[in-house]
Amino acid sequence: MWWRMRGWRGEAGGLPSYDAQVMTIDSTNNLLGLQGMDAGSIRALLAPAARLMENRRAFGRPLAGRTVVNLFFEDSTRTRVSFTVAAQALGAGVVQFGAGGSSVSKGETLLDTARTVEAMGVDALVVRHSSAGAAGLIAEHVGAPVINAGDGAHEHPTQGLLDILSLAQSHDRLGGFDLSGLTVAIVGDILHSRVARSAIAGLTTLGAAVVCVGPAALCPDGIASLGCSVERDLDAVIGSVDAVMALRVQFERGAELGDGADGDPGDAGAYAMRYGITSERADRMKAGAVVMHPGPMNRGLEIESAVADGPRCVALKQVAAGVPVRMAVLLHSIGGDVGAGVAVT
Amino acid sequence: MIDQNPHQSILIRGGRVIDPASGLDAACDVAITGGTIAAIAPDLPAAGVDEIIDAAGMIVCPGLIDPHVHLREPGGEAQETIESGTRAALAGGFTTVCSMPNTLPPPDTACRVEDLLERIQATAHCRVFPVAAASVNRNGEHLNDIASLVKAGAVAISDDGDALWPDELMEAALKACRSADVAFMQHCQDPTMTVGSAMNEGAVSMRLGLTGWPDVAESSVIERDASMAIGVGARYHAQHVSAAKSIPILAAAREQSEHITAEASPHHLNLTEDACDGYDTSAKVNPPLRTNADMLAIREAVAHGVITVLATDHAPHTGDAKQLPFDQAPFGLIGLESALPLYARALVHTGLIGWPKLIEHMTINPARLCNLDRLGLGALAVGGPADVTVINPDWEWPFNADQCAGLSVNSPFMGWDLKGRAVAVVVNGRICMTWHKSGGLIA
Repeated sequence: MWWRMRGWRGEAGGLPSYDAQVMTIDSTNNLLGLQGMDAGSIRALLAPAARLMENRRAFGRPLAGRTVVNLFFEDSTRTRVSFTVAAQALGAGVVQFGAGGSSVSKGETLLDTARTVEAMGVDALVVRHSSAGAAGLIAEHVGAPVINAGDGAHEHPTQGLLDILSLAQSHDRLGGFDLSGLTVAIVGDILHSRVARSAIAGLTTLGAAVVCVGPAALCPDGIASLGCSVERDLDAVIGSVDAVMALRVQFERGAELGDGADGDPGDAGAYAMRYGITSERADRMKAGAVVMHPGPMNRGLEIESAVADGPRCVALKQVAAGVPVRMAVLLHSIGGDVGAGVAVT
Repeated sequence: MIDQNPHQSILIRGGRVIDPASGLDAACDVAITGGTIAAIAPDLPAAGVDEIIDAAGMIVCPGLIDPHVHLREPGGEAQETIESGTRAALAGGFTTVCSMPNTLPPPDTACRVEDLLERIQATAHCRVFPVAAASVNRNGEHLNDIASLVKAGAVAISDDGDALWPDELMEAALKACRSADVAFMQHCQDPTMTVGSAMNEGAVSMRLGLTGWPDVAESSVIERDASMAIGVGARYHAQHVSAAKSIPILAAAREQSEHITAEASPHHLNLTEDACDGYDTSAKVNPPLRTNADMLAIREAVAHGVITVLATDHAPHTGDAKQLPFDQAPFGLIGLESALPLYARALVHTGLIGWPKLIEHMTINPARLCNLDRLGLGALAVGGPADVTVINPDWEWPFNADQCAGLSVNSPFMGWDLKGRAVAVVVNGRICMTWHKSGGLIA
């Protein structure tokens, strides 16, 4: 369950060096979540990711001959494609698994499916599942490294890492990923969001302050136990934050509007009025402050089109940052083939 | 099956005999012949006795009664059967258990109750009394003929696993239970507030991203039910109380009516929501484990007489079923084998109550709840049925799968060091179980 660093050695010259000599494959190189990870471990992933963001060929193709399986039990567009691009950029072959059209429909259990795929000799399992804890459950029962690509409402750690990388990029913190002094507002459906849980954990561990904004039904006071503050009034915070992350209302996970709880907007139109990132609100943000969105967007609800397509919005930069982040994570988890022409720098 | 022709004469010698029903707590011998208790007095003669149990340093009490177990038969025989579940009961020191009706099919007609009693007659190692379902198929829509269920042998009524929810149905059930002179046992869970809920609503569920289960989903049901039961004059029993919020409601209701009772389970007395951390499905239980404050409040409620019955909610599940993601895994954990030391850990070793009070909550109080006192169960009385449990209160032992006598081993207490154990069980005048320090269960 735990993330253990190994492989990345120091940061000589401000950039990481990749040392094939200390690379060994063991069963603990999972990335299940950012909760509980220390700042050093997070930075040790972000530093090579920043390097790869500059130059995707920085480390060559160290995973040539390796196989990564995208084990996706739940729908995905950007995450699946992003992991595929990342693995291929490192030279790995990628196998796509989707629950539809598989033996899952014949009653096979999650663990049997995972063990079956692992038995074919794969080097990493990238897992997405609608149940919180599913990636961790698989990790307990297989030897190959498991990378969590989203488990229910629990965590989406590579999304959290790419959010941090994008924020660091826009605020010139790529040097040491020290986010102290920055405040990030996460707005909307926090309760059902794995993106929010990973972002809150990662951002606060690196020194940023996080304020969650939304109606009580989607952003209950108990969210504060994750290490953030809770605010009902978006307009009270919009002018003072360095970034706003707009989240989709996850109706498919049981989110409801109109329950009359504290801050309840009543319906989608009122939600957009109270919690949507509108042009008018974007105009009131600090100079240099950015608007982030993990996608998929519901334009006109949590974010106005003019903002989504406007200068503050870094949503596509986030998508772009996803590839080097996932490359760094795959490299860490799998290690790399010593004899595969690794460009060690 | 229980031997109906007891021929042993047994002398249980030199123990501390505790019988809460009569207030007895003294060093005595207990003599048993012909399935009944022949004498309770010091220094009884041993001449001609078939079996002598040396109870020096032991507690000798009425056979323990668990009014809330899931034996899974019929329909769930991979998890437990009447045969295996009653072995587990004996291993834990219980001479009587009440079986919950969430079987397939449920005992919801007199015929099905009679069928269940036939199965019990054929295979049970201890006494088993069925609790029958309140509604047809336990689906909470149409009430069963409660009078006929009771006539067939049901000792209480419950839709356990689900609350009986619609107001009018609940009131009708309470009236029928009053007429039949049985208790209604409610599974206190507001279904509308717990859709998809997997664990207590709080910091841990927030962190794990699991749907929370608010404590008010329990307390609001007890509040409604208690006011109805008091109005009707019915006997109402709140099962497995989990939330501190429920305690003042129960206390107030009990001030108004002695017919309102409640039970606490070993897990709610010993564990918190933290046990679910790491998505440990062995700690997934309905109602959920809650906070430390809730756990302490339930202990206090037992100490202050708000909760007067202890019940395991023994809920066996296969290893496969518990190896699912947390939100998909079934609720429940086994309880019979580990219950006694866990009650003692939470209540006696903490100094909240003494052994006599603990035994009262495990014998005469559940007996009265299920009308079993009318059969002489839950008490030690000369001429009464010889159901006796001998407890070594000081025996320290590790709880693990080897110590389990049932079919399933799903328990978050695996690996715990426990203190206190039933070392001999007499049912209907026959020694049905003994534990020896060298290990082993003779059933």
